[in-house]
Amino acid sequence: MSHSIDGSRNSCALHGALQLIEAIDGVVPVVHSNSGCGFQHFLGVNRASGSGVACGSPPVSSSNVTEKHVVFGGSSRLREQLKNTVKVVDGDLYFIVSGCSTEMVGDDIPAMAKEGRDQSFPVVFANTPGFRGGVHHGYQLAARALIDQLPELRTTHPGTPGKLVNIWGIVPRQDPFWAGNLEEIGRLLEGIGVEPNLLVGNGQDSSAWHRVPQAALNLALSFWGEAPAERLAELYGTPSLVFGELPVGSNSGNLLRAVGEQLGFDPERTETFIQAEEIRLHRHLAALADTYFRAGFQREFVLVGERAQAAGIGTFLVRTLGLIPRGFVITDDLPDGQRELLPHAFGDIIREFGARLFFSEDRAEIAEIVRELKPGLVLGSALEEGVAREIGAPFLKLSFPLGDRIVLDRACAGYRGAATLIEDIGSALLAGSR
Amino acid sequence: MSEKKGKHIAIYGKGGIGKSTTTSNISAVLAESGYRVIQVGCDPKSDSTTILRGGNDLPTVLDTLREQSKVKLEDISAVGFGGVLCIEAGGPVPGVGCAGRGINAAVELLQDLKVFEEYKPDFVLYDVLGDVVCGGFAVPIRDGIAERAFVVTSSDFMAVFAANNLFKAINKYAPSGGARLGGVIANSIQAPHSRPLIDDFARQAGVPVIGYVPRSMTVAQSELYGKTVIEALPGSEQADVYRNLAKYIDESHDSVIPKALNGPELKKWARSWGDRIFEAETGVVQNMESI
Repeated sequence: MSHSIDGSRNSCALHGALQLIEAIDGVVPVVHSNSGCGFQHFLGVNRASGSGVACGSPPVSSSNVTEKHVVFGGSSRLREQLKNTVKVVDGDLYFIVSGCSTEMVGDDIPAMAKEGRDQSFPVVFANTPGFRGGVHHGYQLAARALIDQLPELRTTHPGTPGKLVNIWGIVPRQDPFWAGNLEEIGRLLEGIGVEPNLLVGNGQDSSAWHRVPQAALNLALSFWGEAPAERLAELYGTPSLVFGELPVGSNSGNLLRAVGEQLGFDPERTETFIQAEEIRLHRHLAALADTYFRAGFQREFVLVGERAQAAGIGTFLVRTLGLIPRGFVITDDLPDGQRELLPHAFGDIIREFGARLFFSEDRAEIAEIVRELKPGLVLGSALEEGVAREIGAPFLKLSFPLGDRIVLDRACAGYRGAATLIEDIGSALLAGSR
Repeated sequence: MSEKKGKHIAIYGKGGIGKSTTTSNISAVLAESGYRVIQVGCDPKSDSTTILRGGNDLPTVLDTLREQSKVKLEDISAVGFGGVLCIEAGGPVPGVGCAGRGINAAVELLQDLKVFEEYKPDFVLYDVLGDVVCGGFAVPIRDGIAERAFVVTSSDFMAVFAANNLFKAINKYAPSGGARLGGVIANSIQAPHSRPLIDDFARQAGVPVIGYVPRSMTVAQSELYGKTVIEALPGSEQADVYRNLAKYIDESHDSVIPKALNGPELKKWARSWGDRIFEAETGVVQNMESI
């Protein structure tokens, strides 16, 4: 039955595509849609995601189609917009993404991209109307467009044979810690001898994407990373590893072992690196011991976030930090048949502790769940802040939208992310116990 | 809506079935009878009113809207035979843009320009591409525009199929204040089975057939002169056929909500007629019928 969604945290496919594109240096998005689409992306996503957007008005080129273009077709408007964009914005790659109205009308966007390429401009496109799906699907559509179309533009860069690993499934901004998480996962992979291809964030540019076909492995860190990995398997026969959750704390060791094994690395070297990281984490935990008991860390908690995030962070909070799970609310819009597929360790936690599992992106519904479970700690998005205050529980903002929290390169993944997560949770508990 | 808005009638039919010819001749008769008439062509081909205007050029509403920000009634209308005010909604070139939205935009503009309040027509006839492929083509039968729709059909199956689609659209919109069906206009009646086939279809759908327009050289000849039959050959039998149609539309206020056939029903019905026509042609006589 259809129903309305209060305060949804999942934007549309066009926005998901933009989030990927904007996270690659030198790639210039060109939105072919109504003016509201680009602006809503700026207001509803970029400003709410805790980190940097260029100053001033939304820095996105948009064809801003009107009724005239809907009736007579907007392809020529897009051609004009593309021409103007290449004149005023110097980019390595121009990426056309389309919205609902221009897709309904059937504007020939591939032809416009081809026209651009015929004039020696590097142009790719993705058909990303919101009615095709949500923000995560948009990430997949844009990734697929780059995978499929970039090889036509340039010969690929050589990678290091056997060591390059593409990392998929962390959707920029939809995971507010995306940049820091990728950097930390990259650091860990480097530690065992992998050459990580992060693809987005912190200086990653189109050359990273040109190297994608050379990879020895595609690593999917959420369900949303599986489609790009599958596509690359089809095109280049590249093997893939579906990890399906954010590696947090000791679980990062499991990820490194799995990657190392897949690439045929020396397990001893991998283990040596993991042990050094484990020792560091345990040193932090030892230093925390006094505060842990004083502030009463061992509380019942509810975690509201995407599946990969909930599974990864949840497992760490329970297995390493000793917190007690009351409930998890999964907010990404997983397709039918996917909801039941929980990562093993996470599934074990739910069974062992009798934690409740919900799937919802509705603010009011989630608030009701939190109210009912009445945990001693709430981890979620800015949309849960009100209900956490209402039940008097300490609260930590971890998932999109963040609203008033700044995140630049802070991580919650990996070993270092685990340490900052402990800092953040501890600070929230101490502040809450004052 | 003001009292002076007149009777708004939408005439639908499959492309090429003769609805523009029929509509223009009806407009011509109504004008001949002293009524003030507006005919609005709602087809991207924009040739609905050609034979009312002697084939002269008329900028379409949408082309004008594209060229200039402020549009006046004079820019988008021409006075044709008998004073009929002719307007063509127009649309994009084939394969580009959205013709359905175009019709929506054009009808909205006519309302914004207060064309009906100012011209004070007795009749407004919308001549609409009848395949009703999307919401835009159903605009004239939505609430507040036409009160009655007529459908022009021949005995060709595809024309009947398009008529049945219109019935579905009317079924959807009529309960919320949209147009109801005035009846079926049977066009291009030539083969012996044409009339009984259309009668039978109309009976199935529970709608009246308001007239039968025979296939006639008179129409072709008049069109070659760029005129309606009413103007070119006013004394012809064909002109009287159109006069009777116009008289019905003027005098009758009957309308129904048709019962559209669903896919399998329509197919079964078509197959039964296929058999009957085949039997007629091969001389099979059933139930002592003499055909």
